[in-house]
Amino acid sequence: MPEARKAEFPPIDTVTPFDGNASAGSKQALDDLFSLVYEELRRLASMVRRNEANATISSTALLHEAWIRLRDSPPLASTSLAHFKAIAARAMRQVLVDEARRRSARKRGGAGEVVFVGFDEAAAEIATGDHDLLALDASIHELATHSPRQARMVECRFFGGLSVTETATVLGVSESAIERDWRAAKAWLGSKIHPEKHQQTPD
Amino acid sequence: MESTHWEQLQSLFHRAVELPEIERERFLKCACDGESALEAELLAMLQSDGRGTIPSLLEQGLPGIAGQFVGLPEEAVLVREIGPYRLLRVLGEGGMGVVWLAKRQDTDALVAIKFLPNANLSPARRERFAREIKTLAKLRHPYIARLYDAGTLADSTPWFVMEYVEGERLTDYVRERSHTADEILQLFRKVCEAVRYAHSQEIIHRDLKPSNIMVEKDGAPRLLDFGIARELQGLDDPSERTRPGLRFVSPDYAAPEWVREGTVGFFTDVYSLGVVLYESLTGKLPFDRAKRTIEEDGRQIDLNPQKPSALGARLGLSKSAWSDLDVLCLKSLRADPQERYLSVEALLRDLDHYLQNEPLEAQPDSLRYRIGKVFARHRRPVLATGLALALVVGLIVFFTLRLAAARDVALAEAARTQRIQKFMTSLFQGDDSEAGPSEDLRVVTLLDRGVQKAQRLQGESAIQAELYRTLGSIYDQLGKYDQAETLFESALKLDRGSSPQNDMAEADDLVALGLLRSDQGKSQEAESLVRQGTSIVEQHRPIDAMRQANATSALGRVLIESGQYPAATEVLDHAVALQTKLDPSSVELSDTLTLLANAQLYLGNYDESERLNQRALDMDRKIYGESHPNVAADLINLGQLEDQWGHYVEAEHYDREAVAITKAWYGTDHPDAARQSAILAQVLVHEGKYDEAEPLLRSAFGTERKFFSPTDAHLAYILNALGSVEVNRGEFAAAMDNFRQVISLYRTAYGDGDYRVGIGMSNLGNVYLQTKQYTEAEHLFRQAIDLWKKVLPADNINIAIGQVRLGRAIFAQHRYPEAVSHTLAGYEILEKQSTPSASSIQAARKDLAAGYLAMKQPEKARIYEGGVASVDPKK
Repeated sequence: MPEARKAEFPPIDTVTPFDGNASAGSKQALDDLFSLVYEELRRLASMVRRNEANATISSTALLHEAWIRLRDSPPLASTSLAHFKAIAARAMRQVLVDEARRRSARKRGGAGEVVFVGFDEAAAEIATGDHDLLALDASIHELATHSPRQARMVECRFFGGLSVTETATVLGVSESAIERDWRAAKAWLGSKIHPEKHQQTPD
Repeated sequence: MESTHWEQLQSLFHRAVELPEIERERFLKCACDGESALEAELLAMLQSDGRGTIPSLLEQGLPGIAGQFVGLPEEAVLVREIGPYRLLRVLGEGGMGVVWLAKRQDTDALVAIKFLPNANLSPARRERFAREIKTLAKLRHPYIARLYDAGTLADSTPWFVMEYVEGERLTDYVRERSHTADEILQLFRKVCEAVRYAHSQEIIHRDLKPSNIMVEKDGAPRLLDFGIARELQGLDDPSERTRPGLRFVSPDYAAPEWVREGTVGFFTDVYSLGVVLYESLTGKLPFDRAKRTIEEDGRQIDLNPQKPSALGARLGLSKSAWSDLDVLCLKSLRADPQERYLSVEALLRDLDHYLQNEPLEAQPDSLRYRIGKVFARHRRPVLATGLALALVVGLIVFFTLRLAAARDVALAEAARTQRIQKFMTSLFQGDDSEAGPSEDLRVVTLLDRGVQKAQRLQGESAIQAELYRTLGSIYDQLGKYDQAETLFESALKLDRGSSPQNDMAEADDLVALGLLRSDQGKSQEAESLVRQGTSIVEQHRPIDAMRQANATSALGRVLIESGQYPAATEVLDHAVALQTKLDPSSVELSDTLTLLANAQLYLGNYDESERLNQRALDMDRKIYGESHPNVAADLINLGQLEDQWGHYVEAEHYDREAVAITKAWYGTDHPDAARQSAILAQVLVHEGKYDEAEPLLRSAFGTERKFFSPTDAHLAYILNALGSVEVNRGEFAAAMDNFRQVISLYRTAYGDGDYRVGIGMSNLGNVYLQTKQYTEAEHLFRQAIDLWKKVLPADNINIAIGQVRLGRAIFAQHRYPEAVSHTLAGYEILEKQSTPSASSIQAARKDLAAGYLAMKQPEKARIYEGGVASVDPKK
């Protein structure tokens, strides 16, 4: 009797997958893409800072430049510009919020269980936007618990500079739905961040 | 807040903003009906809406904020306590972080905490640190230090807590305790095991050196510091193709190709392990590189180091033992990675051969099985015609299997094979002469000699036939079908002409020949032969239970090959019952379980199939260990199931593990390795990783072409996957050619009604769809679906996808209601699957929305618009 041989499945042929969609089963690719974008945005943002040319570069242009640099990289091969912007928006949010958080933590230095020794406290001036930005981020988080889609929309519109049309494409809803949701979300966020009158940031 | 509350809030807000301002308050009072919290919330929203802005932030503009936020100077951070941990003292500091000893205050346990100071200096460093955490979290092995916890400080400095290893560096441990060579090698073996494990998780350590290999008091090693470890998948990242900064790695232990070119692979770790072994045995480094420049170093490491035997006299080993250890070390230290052990697996195997004091090890069951069989059955003739002959047979098999199994560079190594050659020569020549044979002892040479020996056994036709059958099976396994065929046919002729009649041997021949025919893709002939064999076994009295069980299993196998799945299931259930009765954890049973899993898979019973496969995998791991081709077969099967379910990450993982095992075992140029690579490539296609898939497919095709004729159905699978890559590339003509070939190959092999023919049709249809030839596309989709409906369960995914595609082809011809009905039929199946493949579901939804819009039913279209978030990266 010949030795019994292990029977592998004969390979299972499959049909050609659907294309033209970044979400085609690949979370990994999105993760890769995210880290690429994150790093690129940091680079661009620091360029903005160094040149102090805030006025000449809009967030849309910022993202566009990132897109031009990154679009040939493999994770982006099947991603549209609108989807790219949506991912970039999330990266942008994270970059900004990380920085704001880092700086306000330093401002509070010595608080809590952690002891910080700063070498250059003087340089650590807090931008007026810090407080608002962190509050906005927290509110978007809260919004996400009520309506993930609206939170995503705010992220796309504000942090990624996506147009209404682009946002509608990415989220797969109509433009009129976006307009409506945007107005309500904006009003709600505003009421959360500045409950009474428009007040100055405490710093 | 519940989402219903949220909806209420929104809807009231929208209604309120449409009213004139003066009416709003009254409206709210009325609508909120005493719910003052709701009312207050709405008022605040309306106020904010009136202001027309969120915070000052929005007015300032994003780029302005971005500019302000980046580029501030970094600062040093000193931390005393993190959560339950109190920091004690610095253990070490390196390019990739600072490590502190800390105590967990509630349990007093000591741990090590690693920080990445100035994390914001470089996102790349931060990324690398995060990767280390990810890597450690993935690794669970007794010889790898474990990750406990991770997080970031308030200033975003990342940290992680890991097992504190209180021990000595490997080389110190070895030096200070004057261990024997065997003890050192046993310890080193454990280190290799840990590295092999990491490799099986696709992680390359890249910085193996004594200070990263600690030995605990109990003598067990712990691997530390995966700070620059790399996942195999990410190696094409150009930023990683840089040379290692000298800050990060220890040049004494780094592989030359990495130092010079930045090339990294499993062989990088093999080299470092070689240095560690060398140092452990001799107390010296193979190259003293500290004092040289990189250029000098580049030349130096091309040379061979001094043989360890010349340095390690203190271990008191015999000359022959040292010559083995020399080979082991120097082969690990080859400057050219291709000349090195290709994997830690290969290194481990040779290490084991050394430790077991054997030139090579065999698969114990095969060896025992074959020698035992020959002895048991022909005890008298064996004793009469000479014990030596039986031994020769046993040893041919022994070495053949071993060589076939490890047909890698390790065993082709001349110095290594010398010992084998000497051994073999003495057997073949019947003397103990010192001289080795002039001829290269390749597997096939050995087999051919075995055949010649067997041919000379005139008058011992029973032994001769059994030898033919045994050798034939080996040829079959090696893919040498012609030789196998000749031998099986000779065996059959001998057994049929024997007297007294030996019908059991004849049955064995028929089954063996049948399985060969099945391998050759001649399924009808295969079935007829195996049925003949089985029926002989079943008529024989007393019944030979083992033979009956195995022949039944073989019948199931050929039935599967010819696509008769329900019949196969029935036969295999029977075989499982028979084999379980004989031995509940035998190799044969595990194989039959796998066959049954095949049949269930084809019948669409994935859950059942997975259950059977998992059972076979557990059984095989117990029988063969972690890295046997049978384990690889189980893994690739599980991978295919995950692929069918749309779990591509898991599928890729299983497949990669399987391919690694198979390649290490058989070498890369083997049909099994090629087939499994192609299966992996198909997963990559599903993941959209076309660039990675294509070279795998082309090389698999090249290999398979060496073993199969151009008209063989084995090639169809690769062509089919390749066609999908070409479609993605827009190379439609090439894709069309390939799919046409797929259809014709499957038709010839399995008949017009086989479901695989439908796959080819559907894929060809898709090319027509892509090239806007809608009537042709429609025709092909319809043909495929009709075919599938006859042979597959109604909710099969192929039918679903076919319907969606058919809908597309019809939509393009403006027959909207008809299009929608097909898309809907497909969508309903897709939706019901436990984990529908996201891309097809989304495609279907999109098509439905478009279809209903075209039919002027926007409210229905809305149902399918959106809803499935298409971008959702983690975090």
